[in-house]
Amino acid sequence: MKLAFLFPGQGSQMPGLLSELPESEATRKVLDSATESLNENIFNFHSPDALRSTTAVQISLLSAGVAAFKAFESEGVKPDFVAGHSVGAFSAAVAAGVLEFGEAVKIVKIRGELMESAYPTGYGMGVVLGMDSYNVQSIIDQHFDKEYPVFIANQNGPDQLTISGAISAIQKVLIETRRNGARRAELLNVSTPSHCQLLLPVAEKLAEALQQVKIYPPSIPYAGNRNARILSNPFDIRQDLAESVSSPVKWHDASTVLYEKGVRLFIEMPPGAVLSRLAAKAFPDARVLSVAENGFDDCQFIAKREKLK
Amino acid sequence: MLEKINQNTKTKQSWTKRFDAKNKRTESVKDLVEGMVIPTERIVEVMEKLIQSGDRVVLEGNNQKQASFLSAALAQTNPKELFNLHMIMSSISRPEHLDLFERGTAKKLDFAYAGPQSLRMSQMLEDKQLEMGEIHTYIELYGRLFVDLIPSVALVAADKADRYGNLYTGPNTEETPTLVEAAAFSDGIVIVQVNELTDDLPRVDIPGSWIDYIVVADRPYELEPLFTRDPRHITDIQILQAMMIIRGIYEKHNVQSLNHGIGYNTAAIELLLPTYGESLGLKGKICKHWTLNPHPTLIPAIESGWVESIHCFGGEVGMEKYVAARRDVFFTGRDGSLRSNRTLSQLAGQYAVDLFVGSSLQIDQDGNSSTVTRGRLSGYGGAPNMGHNPGGRRHSTPAWLNMMTSDEPLVRGRKLVVQVVETFQTGNKPVFVESLDAIDVKNDSELAVAPVMIYGEDVTHVVTEEGIAYLYKTDDMEKRREAIAAIAGVTPVGLKHDPKKTEELRKEGLVAFPEDLGIRRSDAKRSLLAAKNVEEIVEWSDGLYEPPAKFRSW
Repeated sequence: MKLAFLFPGQGSQMPGLLSELPESEATRKVLDSATESLNENIFNFHSPDALRSTTAVQISLLSAGVAAFKAFESEGVKPDFVAGHSVGAFSAAVAAGVLEFGEAVKIVKIRGELMESAYPTGYGMGVVLGMDSYNVQSIIDQHFDKEYPVFIANQNGPDQLTISGAISAIQKVLIETRRNGARRAELLNVSTPSHCQLLLPVAEKLAEALQQVKIYPPSIPYAGNRNARILSNPFDIRQDLAESVSSPVKWHDASTVLYEKGVRLFIEMPPGAVLSRLAAKAFPDARVLSVAENGFDDCQFIAKREKLK
Repeated sequence: MLEKINQNTKTKQSWTKRFDAKNKRTESVKDLVEGMVIPTERIVEVMEKLIQSGDRVVLEGNNQKQASFLSAALAQTNPKELFNLHMIMSSISRPEHLDLFERGTAKKLDFAYAGPQSLRMSQMLEDKQLEMGEIHTYIELYGRLFVDLIPSVALVAADKADRYGNLYTGPNTEETPTLVEAAAFSDGIVIVQVNELTDDLPRVDIPGSWIDYIVVADRPYELEPLFTRDPRHITDIQILQAMMIIRGIYEKHNVQSLNHGIGYNTAAIELLLPTYGESLGLKGKICKHWTLNPHPTLIPAIESGWVESIHCFGGEVGMEKYVAARRDVFFTGRDGSLRSNRTLSQLAGQYAVDLFVGSSLQIDQDGNSSTVTRGRLSGYGGAPNMGHNPGGRRHSTPAWLNMMTSDEPLVRGRKLVVQVVETFQTGNKPVFVESLDAIDVKNDSELAVAPVMIYGEDVTHVVTEEGIAYLYKTDDMEKRREAIAAIAGVTPVGLKHDPKKTEELRKEGLVAFPEDLGIRRSDAKRSLLAAKNVEEIVEWSDGLYEPPAKFRSW
């Protein structure tokens, strides 16, 4: 039975998340190293106040994901595949050995800052549930206005999507999707229009920053955000990390590829259980766990047992 | 002079090239093998010599049984030495099936079904990592093994072999004899993975003279319990549909022989025969002969004396002892165990049964149906073989003759092809749509034809929770569309229908509602099921059915 680790992205954060990590030497080392790279105590980043900044959120998520991964590694649990959602992809890349953690912290900090300053007002994201991407896209096509653009952002499930763009356009699309049968369609409390072409300038700067960083071939296959392919070339992974900020995250397809590759045990790294709930719904016959809900001990016990099969 | 030319041509021409090549290959491994037996740990090395780049390789794998040891070994061969294989597979099910293409071991693919790998199939086609041959139904693919896809190598699975290469394939004989025959009688090389080497075979399913090599697998071949439906999940709506089908189709047309799909709605029919069917006095009159896998949900009907014969495509995990104990009904060997045969059962299901009933994800206004989803490439499997009216049929049966709607001198009967669906799928997706996703899939993946599962022209009946549309009675497209729309509920197709026309359609007998068939909707309750859960099926079987662990809840 194959095992995949999933690393959550923005939306999974909660105050104090770094205090909820598995107790282990490996975890402490990762957090110390984050503090060193940032020149600031990592625990300053997970307070309710600090988490209002997307930069702090992204740094906290990266640190939590990598710390938990290292805790599993120190117990001898190594996944067959890794995948991360949005900023979670950086955690996955560190887990796969493509990026060094210290470098990843610096890059993610840049990513957060670029995203924060890209669109100070008037832009954001919405969520549409109960409608597939082809139908949402046709509604977007009918209402598209160059002045106030809107795009499909993340495809989290067959009928679970987010859209990004100008707030006024998002609201129009939300009304239309509701009128055409969407189960839920509402604005998210997010001020950056992530994962659409409005962030191309951010992607370009991020690519430049990533050029300065040493990358290594992955020791664990990595499922990409942009095209939902398993990537084994470090340059492809670097490109995925840079461009995912301006491209839709094909999360449902990425996790489906893992399933088709034989993964029947998914474990979500902390914080939260957003990705494990998506996986449980998409793959009813797979075993799906999260460190947040099942606890580190149960997760590593089951991972070890299933690997023996 | 002429004599000389003749002599020259004669000496140049060889008529044994395939045979010579096979001898050369077998010669090259003679120090690695022990007679016919390839040592388990040498399988990769031996495969690298017996198989050559560019070979056409047929690899056994269908929706149940997989030559999993051999497919894993092939995926470990060196792609620098062995590459560009042309794979022929009825089902792309296992991850390594497509890994072969990612690694470059294989290049071209001809197949029938890829449901479990349908996203990767679609991606690899888009990335040009895979060269698509054709997408087939099972029978077509088997047919081409003897025409223009003759394999150089066959990699198959059996339960047991003796040291002479005689094989016991038992309940899961499935497609093995067909694949072996195509290679063995065209000087191809046949390699068989077996769970066990023994001197004492229960029976011989495939003779040793058809086989070149045997290898004992490190673990038994993979086998999926694909046809087990837990009655716990059958809904009242499915029971209503099952009542309508028994009354409004099986009884009405005198259906004696049939094939069922694997949905819960057809499982409901099987479980209603001993209760609702019995109350209508239909035992011994309908549903006597089946082409069907050993569905556990058919046990109550068999035990109640409804079923005279069943021929199976494959086996079903857990049904072995039950089948062996009911040999009057099932095809069994001298040893008592089931003998299945996918090719012959598909052929029987195509030509020799009165009726096919199955489900679908989408149906358009003309009755064309498809099970594809955009962005996925899943293929056909066997449903289209059974789900069409074979133009070559000549023998008559009461149901077949009952489909005639004119008295012209050359009129002939039809196979009954029934589609049973609920008007909406889970997740609020309408089943009746204005345009099939299959058309988008054709364009997205540049396929030769849109992947339609059952063509509207072959469909004789559509059943929904609203009622039955008797399409075979309609004589023009307009009426046909009206009949479908009348039972399409509040889907885009149904909403276009003028309810005033429904009365007329009912009077003409083109549409029947439950009340027209003497069925009260309120009677459609789970209490009608002969078995309400797997445990009760086990009871019906006298404890002979041994369900796999995942279906045990007690």
